[in-house]
Amino acid sequence: MAGENKTGVHPGDKPFVITRVLDAPRDLVWRVYTEEKHLMQWWGPKGFKMLKCTMDLRPGGIFHYGMQAPDGSTMWGKWTIREIVKPERLSVVVAFSDEKGGITQHPFSPNWPRKTLAISDFTESGGKTTVTLAWYALNATEIERETFDAGHESMKMGFAGTFEQLTDYLKTTQ
Amino acid sequence: MALDRLSHTLSALADPTRRAILARLALGETSVTELAEPFDMSLPAVSKHLKVLEHAGLITRGREAQWRPCTLAAAPLKDVADWVTQYRRFWEERLDRLDDYLHALQVKKKDRKNGRRK
Repeated sequence: MAGENKTGVHPGDKPFVITRVLDAPRDLVWRVYTEEKHLMQWWGPKGFKMLKCTMDLRPGGIFHYGMQAPDGSTMWGKWTIREIVKPERLSVVVAFSDEKGGITQHPFSPNWPRKTLAISDFTESGGKTTVTLAWYALNATEIERETFDAGHESMKMGFAGTFEQLTDYLKTTQ
Repeated sequence: MALDRLSHTLSALADPTRRAILARLALGETSVTELAEPFDMSLPAVSKHLKVLEHAGLITRGREAQWRPCTLAAAPLKDVADWVTQYRRFWEERLDRLDDYLHALQVKKKDRKNGRRK
């Protein structure tokens, strides 16, 4: 995909990629993906309560959101918009955050890169929209890139599932 | 601490040779010599990788003097699996909800249109 701004991505780094076909025209998908009133309705995972959601849709603008997990813990994200090609592409710099909008570390892995770049591409065919999400480590140190890569590789190879089966299997043999 | 173990496991996994070794060990325990076979690598080089894996708690090695069989230890992998699954879920769950929401929106719109026609 030509023209995408990948400043800060290490040359040769491959992204995580997730693709999904949505049964809706692209213009609608774009609105639902970028407008606050819609984001409030679907952005949080099931069972989460949206606490806040502000979207300043312009290059350099901020998407700041907070949500509360069923166990009461809160999670904040501060995303900076890098590129907008309506309705084809939305590129954002993803960071973990707090209520005030500061950048924080990954809550579970201190070696996960502080910032990642998520590029969503939208294409329409026959009234359906394909969203392709490519996800890169950004301005990462060597150890952060390795951590990202290890996660990436395990995802790609389906290690997560394989390892789970393996763990179960090993439990039965031990 | 659990956090340190996860980082430790991840850096041990951040190498294609070591991942290949683990994939082989998933089939069952084996000797270092046998492990080294598919790789264009000296035994000491393979041993070095095994040491990293052992240090990360990803494999255990038998104490029998002659052949010290390597066995996969799955507990740290479970941590990684949980963590990776969580990450993938982050996007997958959002796309699920987006899909549902788009569906609901369009049904509503259609209902409104039909309502007007009546």
